[in-house]
Amino acid sequence: MIHLVVAVCIGMVITACTLDKIDYEAELATAIPQAYEFEEVVLIESNGYRIEIEALNGTFYKGYNELHFTVTNMSNNQTVDDAAITWLPIRQLNTAAYSCPHSYNVLYDATNGYYSGYSVFDYESGLEGTWEFYMSVEINGELFTIQQGIEVMAQPNMNLNMTTFTGADGISYYIALVAPVSPSVAENDLVAGIYQYNQPEEPAGVFPDPSQFSFSEVQGATVLLDPRMPEASMGNHSSPNNEDLTQMTEGLYHGVVNYTMTGNWTLNFMFLDADGNLLAGTEVPTDFTPGIEGAKSELYIDILF
Amino acid sequence: MVGQEKEVSLDSVQQLEAVEITDKMKKELETAMKMNVSVDEFLASSSSISFIKRGAYAWEPMLNNMSSERATITIDGMHVFGACTDKMDPVTSYVESNNLAAVNITSGQQGNANGSTVSGSVDLQRKTTPFSMQPKWEGAYQSGFELNNEQFYHQGNVAYANKKLVAQGSISYREAGNYTDGNGEEVNHSQFKKFNTSVGAAYKTGELSSVRVDAIFDVAKDVGYPALPMDLWLSRALITSATYKQLYEDGWVRAWDTKVYYNTVEHYMDDTTRPENLVHMDMPGWTTTYGLVSKAHVMKGKYHAEVQLNAYDNLSIAEMRMYPQDRSERTMFAYSWPWVTTRYAGLSINNSLEIAPKSELNFGGALGVNYNYAKYIDFNWIFHPGAPQEKTRWLPSVYANYTLKVNDFDFSVGSGYGHRAPSVSEGYGYYIYNSFDRYDYIGNPNLKNEVSYEVNASAGYQTEKVQVKAKVNYFYINNYIIGRILNMGSPMNYQSVGVKGYTSLDYATLFNFSLNTSYALTNNLHWEGTLTYARGMDEDQGNLPFIRPLSYQTSVHYKYKEFGFQTSFNGDLAQSNFSPEYGEDLTPAYSILNVSADYTFQLHNFKTVVQVGAENLFNQYYSTYADWGNIPRMGRNIFTSLQIKF
Repeated sequence: MIHLVVAVCIGMVITACTLDKIDYEAELATAIPQAYEFEEVVLIESNGYRIEIEALNGTFYKGYNELHFTVTNMSNNQTVDDAAITWLPIRQLNTAAYSCPHSYNVLYDATNGYYSGYSVFDYESGLEGTWEFYMSVEINGELFTIQQGIEVMAQPNMNLNMTTFTGADGISYYIALVAPVSPSVAENDLVAGIYQYNQPEEPAGVFPDPSQFSFSEVQGATVLLDPRMPEASMGNHSSPNNEDLTQMTEGLYHGVVNYTMTGNWTLNFMFLDADGNLLAGTEVPTDFTPGIEGAKSELYIDILF
Repeated sequence: MVGQEKEVSLDSVQQLEAVEITDKMKKELETAMKMNVSVDEFLASSSSISFIKRGAYAWEPMLNNMSSERATITIDGMHVFGACTDKMDPVTSYVESNNLAAVNITSGQQGNANGSTVSGSVDLQRKTTPFSMQPKWEGAYQSGFELNNEQFYHQGNVAYANKKLVAQGSISYREAGNYTDGNGEEVNHSQFKKFNTSVGAAYKTGELSSVRVDAIFDVAKDVGYPALPMDLWLSRALITSATYKQLYEDGWVRAWDTKVYYNTVEHYMDDTTRPENLVHMDMPGWTTTYGLVSKAHVMKGKYHAEVQLNAYDNLSIAEMRMYPQDRSERTMFAYSWPWVTTRYAGLSINNSLEIAPKSELNFGGALGVNYNYAKYIDFNWIFHPGAPQEKTRWLPSVYANYTLKVNDFDFSVGSGYGHRAPSVSEGYGYYIYNSFDRYDYIGNPNLKNEVSYEVNASAGYQTEKVQVKAKVNYFYINNYIIGRILNMGSPMNYQSVGVKGYTSLDYATLFNFSLNTSYALTNNLHWEGTLTYARGMDEDQGNLPFIRPLSYQTSVHYKYKEFGFQTSFNGDLAQSNFSPEYGEDLTPAYSILNVSADYTFQLHNFKTVVQVGAENLFNQYYSTYADWGNIPRMGRNIFTSLQIKF
């Protein structure tokens, strides 16, 4: 009897769980290394004004970068909300200069109290060239320009990946993911910026001539979405209730992606222009094929969370 | 002696038996064939229970041919929830035959006392030792060996009782290897190891009151499931309770019994023993339950009633962790139970009124409230966008039953109506792989309550020599919950062929019939026979799955001096009413012959019984309608056992 009681007591002591539960919230963060907040990435003092640019995590990354500009008059420490700002990122490779999708005119957002713009860097700084930006600021008729080199880092968060392609119409297109920054096993609002490169119609003027580096948001296109888990073991697994990407009034494209579990996913796209013509991408097989790696569309973005 | 009898009756379990009001079936935990059985084997000997078997261990009990979600399965009224999404660990797998005294099986709404139900209730009753005027020790030891799967077991019980205090404990260990089917083929992954121990202590706090604490601790390790692509690495359950009982000598309330309980179950399935699997997966699950059962017995003249309050809070969590090829690099994760809380509170009253010495009316009702909350409802939103995170359901139940005795005959007719809430898997399950039909199952938080209408009747004849009892029941169930193919889903588990969502059929019907007969040819020679038949159909008159075909069992017991001989012959006819839609195929008929012999003698004044026997004597190769993946059952199994009581 005594032995029994002792045995049972020992048994009860060791009943603390032997296998820990997954900390799901922490699990979601493993593939998304940083805490994402807007922090200062550029600070310039020029012509009596202090110009500050904020980007997520205080860093320029390959892919979509939302940029917040503030202009402060250093003499009275007042912020300026009626400046006319232009922004032009330039990549220098050997002797050639390139740009990337960007908001050339940076407009004031009164609600948030900053000038809002974006830049979709398509290369990291390094072997593929060096990045710099050209800015012009006009305040009360006074115009000054700024040029500064910047560093574009590799995108550590695959959920903000991007892709570039040439459509059947010969135009260069860019699709860059904007959200979800940190997806979960849920219905996720999928947001992407879609841009095109506009071929210059005039010969180049004085460098940097913005007409030579013109990009615009693609209007009225539709991106058909088919998310799948590409690994052979997942047998081309997909999810239900996804919604294709269509353009909202603010210019970005919105859809819904359902991730049924954490892991590697491929967003397979078919890109249709405003008239419904297929410009890029292929349909992917929907069969469940365990042991065979899922075929990807010719147009896709891989993500991981 | 008379005084002692009275003292003994102070233990309220004894008292309760005196006021037993429903037609409950009580059996000693041994079958006619085998004196030492597992809980599963014991339940299988009841004509209202059938089993879904995924291997040699932890069978899922089906009451009235309905899956375990439709029954309330409790241990002394306590709710315990298995932690496996694949139902590998029904409550019955966490107890052992040597810590149980009886199993109360109540069919249909008459079983509403422990919670809302459709098919009825199974209450596993633990052994309790009564207080004793004279201090005394009691004990038993049992051991045995089964040849087919090299199973051996040791079980021991001890109990001490005096007039103030009772202490008891039990311990049991079983270990089995793979079994061999009737063709002599070894069935891989059918081994198991199970350790179970229980302790209990009761103290008499007054002339008519006592307090009792109990605990069961159960560990199963290395349990193979031949019908599944994975096995159990470890499961553990700790089941604890504290009970206060008060008896009253007069007044309407005669006994009042209140229990608080806590239990926790962990169940870790993985496929480390299945290197051939393409993707490796762990499926750990946890449940934690707190609860209260408070029961009062009311008696006035010819009227008896049992009023019961039942409340519990359960949290069920199950995870799916997948490893592409390299186990060290886990990349994929999802919840198969996204932290689902269930809270239930119900009040039931079961009344019995003796109208005349020969007739009795039983009637009762219950009202329960069931609340669910899924912490990670996001998972469920993938298939059911916007489904509510919280859901409250009201679950009413009523029944009435009239019994009449005419000479040696007895008759009863009854009817019932009741609701049940969807289970955690049916409501919130997420990609739960079912290896029977090879579909991944998705729960639906918006499911309606299942609503059951039942009628039942029985007729019996009983003399000293002959007993015949026929029972029928018929269930018409609205919003019958079952999995239907979801075209929009894509399977997640690589063995699966598609995705099914739990949906409600408009209705389903179930019919159960059983005939039990026994005949005493002489004092020493007894014959028993059982016949059962069931039919289950959906709204389109299609067959429901897991409905037992016509089955029979006949057995003869012969006693000669200290020897006993038993033989039984049982089988099912072919399952012609199978359901291909749910992954069933035609299971052929089978019949099995079992024999055993025992000898009782005194060993140092201890009553000792030895038994040898053989199950499936003719080594038939067979599987039953409810064996997943048509996994063959055990071939010939010679068993021996020894029991010493002191």
